Amino acid sequence: MSRPAPDRSSPPPSAELRPVELPELEAFRLDGGLRVLVGEDRQLPELSLRLVVEGGASADPAGQEGVAELTGRLLTEGAAGRGAQAVAAWLDRLGASFSVSAGYDVTILSLHLLSDVLDGGLDFLRAVVREPTFAEAEVDRVRQERLDEIDRDRDKPEVAADHTLIRAVLGDHRYGTPSAGLRESVEGLGRERVASFHSGRYGPRGAALVACGDVDPGALVEAVEERFGSWEGGQGPVAPPEPARPAGPGPRVLLVDRPESAQAELRLGTVGAAYGDEDFFDLLVGNAILGGLFNSRINMNLREDKGWTYGARTSFHFRRVAGPFVGRTAVETAAAADALAEFVRELEGMVEEPPTDEEMTLARNSLVLSLPRQFETVSQVTRKITTQVVYGLPQDYWDRYRERIEGVTRDGVVRAMGRFLDPEALRLVVVGRAGELEGPLAERFERVAVVEPPGQRRA
Amino acid sequence: MQGQSVHFDFEERLLDNGLRLVLEQDRSAPVVAVHLMYHVGSKYERPGRTGFAHLFEHLLFQGSGHVPKGEHFRYIQNVGGTLNGSTWFDRTNYFEVVPSSELALALWLESDRMGFFEEGITQEKLDNQRGVVKNERRQSYENRPYGLAFETLLGLAYPEGHPYRHPTIGYMEDLDAASLEDVHDFFRSYYAPNNAVLVMVGDLDPEEALAEADRWFGEFPAREVPAPPEVERIGGERGERRGTIEDAVQVPRVYMLYHAPSFNDPAFEASDVLTSLLAEGKSSSLHRELVYERRIAAEVEAFTWPLEDVGMLLVVATARPGVAAPELEEAVDDVLDDVRTSGVTEDEVEGARNRARRSLVGQVNSAGDRADAVAHAAVLRDDPDYVNRAFDRYRAVERRDVLEVADATLRPERRAVLHVVPREAS
Repeated sequence: MSRPAPDRSSPPPSAELRPVELPELEAFRLDGGLRVLVGEDRQLPELSLRLVVEGGASADPAGQEGVAELTGRLLTEGAAGRGAQAVAAWLDRLGASFSVSAGYDVTILSLHLLSDVLDGGLDFLRAVVREPTFAEAEVDRVRQERLDEIDRDRDKPEVAADHTLIRAVLGDHRYGTPSAGLRESVEGLGRERVASFHSGRYGPRGAALVACGDVDPGALVEAVEERFGSWEGGQGPVAPPEPARPAGPGPRVLLVDRPESAQAELRLGTVGAAYGDEDFFDLLVGNAILGGLFNSRINMNLREDKGWTYGARTSFHFRRVAGPFVGRTAVETAAAADALAEFVRELEGMVEEPPTDEEMTLARNSLVLSLPRQFETVSQVTRKITTQVVYGLPQDYWDRYRERIEGVTRDGVVRAMGRFLDPEALRLVVVGRAGELEGPLAERFERVAVVEPPGQRRA
Repeated sequence: MQGQSVHFDFEERLLDNGLRLVLEQDRSAPVVAVHLMYHVGSKYERPGRTGFAHLFEHLLFQGSGHVPKGEHFRYIQNVGGTLNGSTWFDRTNYFEVVPSSELALALWLESDRMGFFEEGITQEKLDNQRGVVKNERRQSYENRPYGLAFETLLGLAYPEGHPYRHPTIGYMEDLDAASLEDVHDFFRSYYAPNNAVLVMVGDLDPEEALAEADRWFGEFPAREVPAPPEVERIGGERGERRGTIEDAVQVPRVYMLYHAPSFNDPAFEASDVLTSLLAEGKSSSLHRELVYERRIAAEVEAFTWPLEDVGMLLVVATARPGVAAPELEEAVDDVLDDVRTSGVTEDEVEGARNRARRSLVGQVNSAGDRADAVAHAAVLRDDPDYVNRAFDRYRAVERRDVLEVADATLRPERRAVLHVVPREAS
């Protein structure tokens, strides 16, 4: 098999790029109003189903922050005449995995199973969605588990950093408090509030069941119709208010003292953009250049040049209204003030040193050419479709994604990033050994305050 | 319902220089996974150089003869690919998932670091990545609650000098001690074509892919590779080992490591099913008893790890506030004793089997994951086709197999126990 040595001096030429074929979706609407979107993929005997329910943390009534989360956790703690342990045994016997994620915008119920237990899986889903018991004892137990979890989170510096940042950036907006709530509101959540959230929010209005896998779409819809055809209720989407941008003068540094820390957790952030923002695609490209890729400016600087950190990254949390833009890293304590200053400098650099052609190409290619491997598995497909459903994206969204990204220009990136990354509206957070951090931070930044993370009052 | 099976057609070839190839064609997406696994990991490290295999993995991303620093990531991300590497006790892997038009690019990059790594390495790169890895240790271990528990547990479970006694991340002073000479020695010893498996899965033509692999890797000569370390099997003769450490945590946690069947042992799957019915799902024995009924644990976990020369069955229980570690340990022991002495129903075993099969499908449903599974099977079991046979092996696990492995394994003399307790305020 021996051949002449290859030319290694430059990368070998690409072969022909095969087009991605996104799965064909069949869309149905049941009599009761539930939308059902099904893709067929028979490669393996598995299915992924996701039920989107219009009722995430943004639908938590004021003072009841965390009720969407608690409701989600309680769906499986007794349903359709079976007790909590019987429901657990039912699911575990099917061998399926089931999870409930109460995000800010919606709650998503995810079921992954082998196709030979599909009918049993749908029976299970019907029971927990439509007939959860919410027995008082189970509500009290699960609420206590959540409170214990909040206490244990005190051990995690990254949690303190995240919570401090979103509060500093988003204040009293629902996005300024963790979606699962904090102690003061979770303590007040009882059976009635959970049951009321469920009866008000869980229903077919605005909901969608997204499925992909080893199934005939028509047969699946029939099976779903049997279980969800008569499902009623729901209130449709919640429209949270547009968050206000943090007022100047900035940037402000909030320092959380954690004497036992082995490292300093750093965050910076401001109010970012909504999923439907006109600059959405410019921000995707801009963020890839700034901190979305391994070869981004911030990671190459703090990690590959300085060796201060295991990694640094940035992201826009695109939601129905503007979620936060967040930069994250963890660095050795002695380098914290310098690293934070570098981080701010890289943000400003997005405007002052516009992206090079090479950066633009890398960012665009990484976004566009990665599509094929983002649609490989049935779970990936249902996740992508779910995103389309939640943000009301057009049906040809993924087909047109490529041209939208390729249409992004350097000027567009500079303008869009400049629009959001205003240093005056920046909030910076450091969690670590305040005694060693305060002096160096004060040398670098005008406004440094030592604070407590939100919601850390003990029971 | 029990008839559903999963099968992939893997082709195996050996290049003249000993590089082992496994290929599989899957045209379902225009994607190809390239996975190169070297048969070296932290258990091969010498005393005073713990963490070296992992530090070395970082250095392999720092450029090579024809690839400047930082460019490996850039080339792959520039074609929309993803890439990474990882180090574990028994092996180190490097992988790319790229559009299938870029198979040659991935092979060019992987072959450049196999063949021309030494031309690119410098003291400056070593020092930079030493800093990165020390911060990885701080971030992922030292600054994380319970983050030092596992390495402490290993120190209890294995005797001084045992290859599995130290953690893959290594100790700070050993990271400081690593020299450029160590880097060259390690590379020459272990990064030989005959000490690796190259797996290619996805939208490829097997004959073309084979020819490409030979074109890029064929010229590197086979080298003598040092014999793997002698690994003493630990059993009941060592007796129970116990320890306690303090940490900045709110509640205690109990860790148990049982000397269990290794990945190559015929009882491995039964052991995996055992840990699934112990702690996977809310109806599992430990969860039901400790979290739901008695409400003394916040969380319980159990795993059987697929390791080459030893078996680790881990049980981890986190206390609820107000529960002390000894009380929690006793409660865990009650459940384990109960399971060992036949407290397992046919239903529970069937559920655990079903979960295992669903989870196996989830481990092979993308080209990248499948390549990873195949590489592990090839390197650790010398049997790439285990990926197919695993479905049948798990399906064949019976209640009596689970009881047998529980009875043989879940004994105090076969374990190390660590309590992590809240640090007393000073």
